[in-house]
Amino acid sequence: MDLEFLKTAITRRRFLQASAAAGAAGAAGVGFNGLGLRTLSEAQASAAPSGGQTVITKSFCHQCPARCGIDVYTTDGRVHAVFGTLDNPLSMGKLCPKGHYGQYFLYNADRFKGPMKRTNPKKGRTEDPKFVPISWDEALDTVAKRMNDLRAKNESHRFGLIYGRGWGATDVGVLQTLSKLYGSPNIGLGHSSMCSDGSEETKKILDGNHGYNAYDYANTNYMLVFGAGFLESFRPFNGNMQAWGVMRTKPAKTKVTFVDVHLNTSAASSDRAVLIKPGTDGAMALAIAHVLLTEGMWDRDFVGDFVPVTQPADPDAPRLPSYKFETGKTIDPATFNQKWVLGLPEWWNAVLKDCTPEWAEKITTVPAKIIHDVAREFGTTRPAIAIFERGAHAHTNGTYGAMAIHSLNALAGSMFAQGGMAYQLKSPAGKWPVNLDDFMDDYAKSPERKKPRIDMKGTDKWPMVSNMLQEVAKNHNAGAPYKLDSCMFYMTGPIFSGPDCTAWEKMLGEIFVINTSPFPDETSVFSDLILPDHTYLERLQVADTYPFQGYPISMIRTPAVKPIYDTRVFGDMLIDLGKRIKGSTGEYYKQLGNTENIIKGIASIFAEKPGDNGVNSYESWKEKGVWYQKPYLYRQIRGEFFEWDKLTQSYSKPMKPEEVKEKLLKTPSGKFEFKSGYLEEEHHVHYLMEKFGLPAEMIAFPQYLPANHAGGGDLHFVSPKLAMQAEGRSGNLPHVTASIQPSQGGKKTVYLEIHPETAAKRGIKDGDRVRIKSTVGSIEVYARLYGGIRPDTVALPMIHGHWGMGRWTKNSGVSGSTNEVTPNVSDAISGQCCYHSAKVFVEKV
Amino acid sequence: MAKWGMVIDLEKCVGCQACTIACGMENNRLPGENWQDVIFFTEGTYPSAQLKWFPRPCQHCENPSCMAVCPTGATYKTEDGVVLVDWNKCIGCKYCMVACPYGVRFYTDEKPLIAPDMRKVYPSKDDHSWNPPWKMPDAREDWKHGVGIQPHDVVSKCTFCYHRVSKAPPGTPDLDPQDPKLREFTPACVVTCAPGARFFGDLSNPESNVSRMIGDKRGVRLLDQLGNKPQVYYLTGVGGAVPSNRAIHKKS
Ligand code: SF4
Ligand code: SF4
Ligand code: SF4
Repeated sequence: MDLEFLKTAITRRRFLQASAAAGAAGAAGVGFNGLGLRTLSEAQASAAPSGGQTVITKSFCHQCPARCGIDVYTTDGRVHAVFGTLDNPLSMGKLCPKGHYGQYFLYNADRFKGPMKRTNPKKGRTEDPKFVPISWDEALDTVAKRMNDLRAKNESHRFGLIYGRGWGATDVGVLQTLSKLYGSPNIGLGHSSMCSDGSEETKKILDGNHGYNAYDYANTNYMLVFGAGFLESFRPFNGNMQAWGVMRTKPAKTKVTFVDVHLNTSAASSDRAVLIKPGTDGAMALAIAHVLLTEGMWDRDFVGDFVPVTQPADPDAPRLPSYKFETGKTIDPATFNQKWVLGLPEWWNAVLKDCTPEWAEKITTVPAKIIHDVAREFGTTRPAIAIFERGAHAHTNGTYGAMAIHSLNALAGSMFAQGGMAYQLKSPAGKWPVNLDDFMDDYAKSPERKKPRIDMKGTDKWPMVSNMLQEVAKNHNAGAPYKLDSCMFYMTGPIFSGPDCTAWEKMLGEIFVINTSPFPDETSVFSDLILPDHTYLERLQVADTYPFQGYPISMIRTPAVKPIYDTRVFGDMLIDLGKRIKGSTGEYYKQLGNTENIIKGIASIFAEKPGDNGVNSYESWKEKGVWYQKPYLYRQIRGEFFEWDKLTQSYSKPMKPEEVKEKLLKTPSGKFEFKSGYLEEEHHVHYLMEKFGLPAEMIAFPQYLPANHAGGGDLHFVSPKLAMQAEGRSGNLPHVTASIQPSQGGKKTVYLEIHPETAAKRGIKDGDRVRIKSTVGSIEVYARLYGGIRPDTVALPMIHGHWGMGRWTKNSGVSGSTNEVTPNVSDAISGQCCYHSAKVFVEKV
Repeated sequence: MAKWGMVIDLEKCVGCQACTIACGMENNRLPGENWQDVIFFTEGTYPSAQLKWFPRPCQHCENPSCMAVCPTGATYKTEDGVVLVDWNKCIGCKYCMVACPYGVRFYTDEKPLIAPDMRKVYPSKDDHSWNPPWKMPDAREDWKHGVGIQPHDVVSKCTFCYHRVSKAPPGTPDLDPQDPKLREFTPACVVTCAPGARFFGDLSNPESNVSRMIGDKRGVRLLDQLGNKPQVYYLTGVGGAVPSNRAIHKKS
């Protein structure tokens, strides 16, 4: 014992000496030895020691779009902790589990250490790219040469840049300038159709706001959730959890009904879990709307009401009953006075009158009584909100179904109400230091630049979408409208995360691929150049908030440590690339200089618009990490709209209908449109008639249409995101894999959830190796028998199955991406990729 | 002297595991060797299917069975009520791991959960079991109190973040992480818990919020029948689940 004590005491002293030496060695500068093989003790040595002092740097989290403000703790030159920033409105001192991953990403042993080029011309999953290190100059010159050559050939549109999680001005903002100046519609192909466009599009159709909602959860008393992982993946997760703590313990506890296809932690935390047949959520919402109307539970202040019946003049004549909604019977639109809504009588007559709970039961498998109960609770509790996300709308019928769900918010009077929902206000932003229009040359201005994007967004093929990333590989491979020559990737990897993802292997095998990820991934396996970005704790970067409580918030990341490798922040990489483009494009970027100048430009407005926390300059912004101005400016109170009055500190300035239309209900009518004027626009009508086989008079209404489940199998297949998953990046973090829970979690792998009866029919036992098969491919995983999933559905989270990501993904037990079995099918309206609509076979291996 | 204790409100806990990950970060835990695990249970078939969970740090018992069996006195109870392992004394016999009814203790040299072994990727040249680049500040290492990168051949466990808690101003009734003056003294898991399900305070102080909550909300202790008297209390409210004591059917 004594010996043990002595030994450790001595070693402890040596240890301290050793680490001091490491710090000193690092001060000599950052070395670079090629292929991502530098050990991490070297990496850590390269950061300057701070003499035991802890420095806290303000930044914001990178693990989901919510952008929680973080305090990054750095001591002895090491980042060792990340906590929520206490006075940051987004994090309020808290974080979700993913918020604490920062240091694991920063020091990840598999990071790229600097720019590299491929030397093996052959490409394939199992081909070693044989990367060799090159300088940044060589890397950027190579890309610029391709770009200049394409421009010389009048083919600049064949240079693409695909991005996923963009943060704002310093990345997406820069690539937008490059798209214009260089002249390629394909610089800036966004991923939103593979995210949640169905949600934004639904809201545009009904209330004119293309956006996600800002919610007032803390004041809501009833929450009806359709297919949104409120306590796992719905953004802002951290904010949702904080709201949950309030909602569930306030004196009038918020009651929650949760509709999904399996029992997850959100469903299990709720008061009622409803397992619904995939792709039928809209039918349940219609039945709820039906009950709200037939039982007189709609919000009259917001929606309006029937006119009083004119009784016969003859006092002896029998009295006429008042008007009402009766199942199966139409109403005379003239008898209903609509206030802030449009098309309710028409919707009722065309759709809703027959949508009884009994009707919905046949479609959804949810007992009519349950639907009835939910409708009565929803209708008699105020404020009540209905929220939805991909579980409900990532189906071919997704927009129409989601319209039914969002309509409940109008019927309950929750739009812009306390305890209801609004839309995020934009932050003010100062001007960029250089004006882009001064640098547009004739080439860039030429009408020839008006080529369709390769994803065919905005063409007759996809007239209503925002983006259509899942179409890019398909279109490229078919050569229609054309083939790309080169493509750069930023923060996205559709070769793993896109539906029917193997199509990307063909495309990337044919073109020049430039990957900017700091980490190896499947795109890298097919890349010709690696231009590694900083990880987020090394970056200077800004972003507006993700929709939160509506008031504007601007976030800033400041580097917690100097870059530990030879990497470059993406925005600066682009600017340095732009400087190498011939002519005025190059001039523009030379004058722009770097992303810090953009940030300073943006921050200049804070001098005249100081934040509530006193932020009034670039410097004070970096110090606090956030600028914000409370409160949200508008509110609907019992059917009247008011603007915030600074003097009285209340919502007391009445708004005129024109102002409501301009600022809040941005539809053609300035109302919440159950009969959508947007869908009725002439160029949409024929498209919708053809795509959905609907008569012209039906296209404008929320309604239930059966989903088209591609894949050819007999079981619905969903690939949800769990609370621990940091988008596509966490597969190579053993700390994540080892702790993934709940029912799909295992210490080393993730499991396919399958109902015991479904498993028994296929001879599958708990833990068996199984094959998931569809028309597009097959993967193998381990099965977990779980009575909390529907017998007609299986679920596997999309985290493992990587084949190009790093040393800790090698033995994940999942043989491929969930997207190798997910067919490429999209909702014709929003372009939403139907990730949760596939049908597969499952068999024992 | 304070008698530190934790209260976990299971009605608020959403099973997010931020506590687990924050603890792992703060205390440099290896993947899956979580001092603070959230344990999930599933049972039954829909509509009776249940998914329940339960966050479990060391219970810091008043009568710690681990301490009773420790042959070297390495496991001890501090004056302020915290059960700790002195790594300078621990011989790695693992008696305590067997004796603890709550399964919260971890031996260093176990097989790694996930290959490659992080201890090999980030090797240590001294008695530490590994040397992660994100390791805690050098000055925090305190083996007498079981704080630091776990050395070889010893047992470790949740310390109630002794390196934070022990520096709190004397007489503080509750360590509220939303109070900027107390935040840095509050255990990492309590700091981060977003729904606010975790509370930390002085159980011996009648003024403390934790003392009051245990009374008002009928706090329960895990496996209370064993007599260990945990200083971690659970509030079950509506919907919060403490695992029932049922027979465990071993898989044959
Ligand atoms: S909610 Fe999103 S931004 Fe906030 S801590 Fe979690 S992952 Fe980070
Ligand atoms: S952080 Fe809080 S809510 Fe999340 S699992 Fe831990 S105790 Fe529960
Ligand atoms: S008190 Fe500290 S050591 Fe214990 S579980 Fe919480 S974070 Fe981990």
